[in-house]
This record gives sequence, structure tokens and C-alpha cells, in this order.
Amino acid sequence: MVNALVPETAERTPRARAVRSAVAGRVRHRRRQTVVAYLFLAPVLLFFAVFLLLPLGFALLLSTSRWSGFALGDIEPAGLDNFTGLFADGSTFLTPILTNTLLFALGTVALALTGSVLVATCIDRLRFQGVWRTLYFLPIVTTVVAVGNVWKYMYEPGGLVNGVLNAVGLDSVAFLADPDTALPSVVVVQAWASLGSAVLVLTAGLKSVPESYYEAAALDGAGPVTVFRRITLPLLRPSLLFVCVTQFLTGLQSFALITVMTRGGPGDATDVAALEMYRLAFGYGDWGTASAAAFVLFAVVLAITLAQLWWFRRTGEDA
Amino acid sequence: MTRGRSTGRRGVPWLSYLVVATGAVLTVVPFCDMVMTSFKGPGEAGTLPYRFLPRAFDLANYRAAIRQLDLPALFRNSVAATALITASVLLTSSLAGYALAKLRFPGRDFVFRLVLATMMFPPFLFFVPHFLILVHWPLAGGNDLSGRGGAGLTVSIAALAVPFLVNGFGIFLTRQFMVAIPDEVLEAARIDGAGEFAVWWRIVVPQTKPVLVTLGLLTFVDAWNEYIWALLVSTANPDVMTLPVGIQLLQDHVDPARTTPIVMAGLVLSVLPVLLLFLLLQKYYVRGVMLSGLK
Repeated sequence: MVNALVPETAERTPRARAVRSAVAGRVRHRRRQTVVAYLFLAPVLLFFAVFLLLPLGFALLLSTSRWSGFALGDIEPAGLDNFTGLFADGSTFLTPILTNTLLFALGTVALALTGSVLVATCIDRLRFQGVWRTLYFLPIVTTVVAVGNVWKYMYEPGGLVNGVLNAVGLDSVAFLADPDTALPSVVVVQAWASLGSAVLVLTAGLKSVPESYYEAAALDGAGPVTVFRRITLPLLRPSLLFVCVTQFLTGLQSFALITVMTRGGPGDATDVAALEMYRLAFGYGDWGTASAAAFVLFAVVLAITLAQLWWFRRTGEDA
Repeated sequence: MTRGRSTGRRGVPWLSYLVVATGAVLTVVPFCDMVMTSFKGPGEAGTLPYRFLPRAFDLANYRAAIRQLDLPALFRNSVAATALITASVLLTSSLAGYALAKLRFPGRDFVFRLVLATMMFPPFLFFVPHFLILVHWPLAGGNDLSGRGGAGLTVSIAALAVPFLVNGFGIFLTRQFMVAIPDEVLEAARIDGAGEFAVWWRIVVPQTKPVLVTLGLLTFVDAWNEYIWALLVSTANPDVMTLPVGIQLLQDHVDPARTTPIVMAGLVLSVLPVLLLFLLLQKYYVRGVMLSGLK
């Protein structure tokens, strides 16, 4: 660059010409790289424009409109009616639907987290960790239709779970048919299905705990419970946060399992927000209210995720 | 390094074995029940008292599943949609990942931040607008220019794949791995006269093969197992029905007492391909879940 700026007497020397053409070449190269880069990005940018920005805008428009779903010209502005309608007296959106959603997510996280901490700390002590992990992973690669139907069948009066209950002398339970037990029953399945990935993340977290910490604790005569509470748990914080946030996200928005197992029933005992949105739209053609419900759920998901991040940061000494 | 942390310290960790084995049994038993039920004869499934083993291992339910469900057609649709999605995600992610990792151009940071932002939006926000956009797609499936009159893109098998063709996480993942490729290698190829496309195809893609396998596998499994969107599209156009949707339909519409074994047989057949693929390429899949944690 400095050479390119020397006085014009140098212009005629071959060296200066070489430098100039190198600079011009670099500019040309830069420009060509920009063109190539945007060519490489073109499919992605086009996709995001048509299937991300356009739908978001469309959904926002619908959430503040009344529309029968036929001609785009029929979309009528409705202000915030769709939103207020969700929370009006007699609407089931707040209770039981949003409450169910929170209970479903909370129950899943609590079960999966407890189970995975237990299993991960135990697996860490065993040989053949890969084999165990494979077994715990099976539900993750299985379609929700298989998971849902197998468990639905296992919950039936003549199914495996009641078979076991009867074998040990207990009465049968109408798991999915009873409004009181339906939600906990699907929570168990959701937690069962997500245990493997949580175990994986926590096992990886455990491996990053230096062996010397355990040796030092052993020298000090610390028992297993103390070691777990004072060493394992604090050092596992990042992994726990990760599992917590991702499982909560999944729990708040997933409704495929519920669709397969109960379709929100009996009554609305297992109806969750995303399922209700789906039903409002594709069952009743109420696109406006459905879109409003989607945004309300989105706000809930965001708020809960941010709250978890904030809480973990506040209570963590190292963060 | 083999772990087995306390084996040296305190002998065999019996309690740990007990916990892990109990969990593993609870995980595997539903799969066993699925397989066992798929062999049960009429009146054997769902009757009291419960019996785990079938009276005979008869393949009748498998034959019935293939016939009643039209499994070949469902398989074909599932394979087509899954292949389309996986190929597209791999191609678009590695192209965009390369541009974001190794090319210098104005707007790069903005595009990268946009990609990260796309991962923030949950899928349920898009079910309604995506469906409406596909139905009203101009000049497709009998639609006029304003998107009215026909069924739009829902007539095509591509409708199953469209919302999943590009994946923000996939772009992010490939970019992170491509950043690690030394610039000198790419520069050397450019001096040898290779264009950017050749650099991408001959150097960058081969060097990032492991992460592409991981991404491909994650995408494949998700696409194969996808249910909600496929259900929507199949409701509009039954010709593109996929395996999960078809099997669920049979479950919902016929007498459950008689059809449960047939449904289980269909499920076994539909789960098998993914399970085999997972067992073969487990290492890559496990790494993918660790990287994404999206499940």
C-alpha cells in the first residue's frame, strides 16, 4: 500500500506498475469474492426470505386480523381482539391449556433431570459406557408415532404396565382414560424419550471434572454424598443449565406425543398450547386466534428461557 | 482412557450397576413389548391377563401391515422426503458455511447474525403461515397468479420437504468447523488456479466430512421421524402420506383391539431403517446431539 502512494516519478518504473496491477488485482479479487459469497449464500437467503421473514410477517398480520382463509383480500383488521379473546372469561386458553403446558414442561424437566443426573453419575463409574449409552439412546432415534403408540398400548388395561401392577397385587390404573392421571402419564413418556440426550450431555460434563478433585476429596475423607454435593454438582452447572433450558424449550412447544397418545383428552386434561393452536387453525380454520396463540406461547417460551439463564447466572459464583 | 472411576478405589460399583441397568431395562422394555406384540395373534393383544410373549412367532401381522397400510407407497414417500431434505440441508449448509467461514465480503457479520437469529424461532410459529403459503403458492397446483383456485404446492411431494430444506443450525455447525481449515491451504489452491467452487468441492467438503456426516445423520433421523407437518400435508393430499402418518391413521381408524399387532408390525418396519443407521453411525450421531442438544 505504501509503495502505491510514492510520487509519480515512480509511476513509470516496472516495479510500480507491478504493484499497481497487484492492487487492482486484489480489488478485483475482493469484488469477485463478494459475488461468489453471495452466490453461495443465495439459496439460504432466498429460503429465509420466503420461509422465515414472510411467514413471520404473515403470522403477525393474521394474529391481528379476521380471515376465512380464502382470498387474501378478505383479511380484515381486528386489532387485538384475537389476543383478548384468548384471555376472555370462559376461554380455556389460560386454564387449563397454558397451565397444562407449564405442568407438562415442568414435569418432564424434573423427571428427566433427576433421572439423567442419577444415571450419568452412575454410568461414569462403569465400564462399557458406550453400550449403556446406545441403549439409552434408542428412544431418541425412534419416531414419536412409535413411542406414543407403544406406550399408549402399554398403559391400557390389558397392557404391560397394568400387567406388572396386577402381578404384584395392585389394582389396574386407567392411566390415559382418567383425567387425573392422563397428564402425568404422558409426562412420564416424554421424560422417558428425552432421558438419553440428557444423560449424554451430563456424562460429557462429568468427564470434564478433573480426577484430582476426587482424589483430594477422598484424601480429606469426604463421603460420596459430600463429593456429589460439593464437587460434582457445582462443576456440572453448565451441563445442567444446558439440559434444563433445552428440555424446557422442547417441553413447552412439543405436542406430537400428545397428539398421538391422547389428542388432548380426556376432555382437555392433556390439551397444551401448541396443540390448541394447531386445532384452532386446522380444525376450526380460525387462523387469527391460532396465530395469536402461537405468539403468546412464543412469549412464554422466551420469558421462561431468559428467566432460567438469569437465575443460573445469578446463583452461580463462577458465571 | 477408560473411566470406571471408582472401580480401582472401591471395588465393583454394584449400586451404580443396579441404577444404570434398571434404567436401561426401563428404556428397552417398551421396544421389546412392541416387537412381541407385533407377533401376537387375534385376541392375544390387549386381553387380560397380560402376557409378554406371543403364543407363536407368526409373520401374519407383517403381511397384513404391508397390505393394509400400503407400506411400499408410504416407504417411497418417506424416502423421497427424507432424501430431499437431507441432500438440501447438506448442500445449502456447506455452501453457506464456507462463505461465512472463509470468504471475505461486506455484510458477512450481518448474514451470520441472521443465521443465528433464525435458530431462535420455534417451529410451531410457522405451521400456520407455512401451510397457507404452500396452499396459496402462485401458479402451482392449479393456482392462478394471485394464489387462488387450486391446492398450490400441496399437490407435490416436495411439500413434505419445503419447510425443512434449509437449517440455521446446520449452517452454524458447518461454519464452525470450516473456520478451522487453514487459509494457506485454500490460498495455495487459488494460486493453482482453482475457482471458489472448486476450492469448496475439492478441499473444504472433503476436510469437513465428519461434521457433514453428523449433520446428515441428524437431519435424516429428524426428517424420517417427522410427524406433525407430514400429517398436515397428507391431510391436504393423501398421495404424499409418509410412514408415521399412515401408521397413525390405521391406529386411529380401525378397531384397536384387533389392529394393535398390525400397527406394531408396521412400527417395527418403520423404525428399523433408522435404528440400523443409528447403530452403524452411532459415533457421528452422538456427537451431533452433543453439539445441538436440540432434542
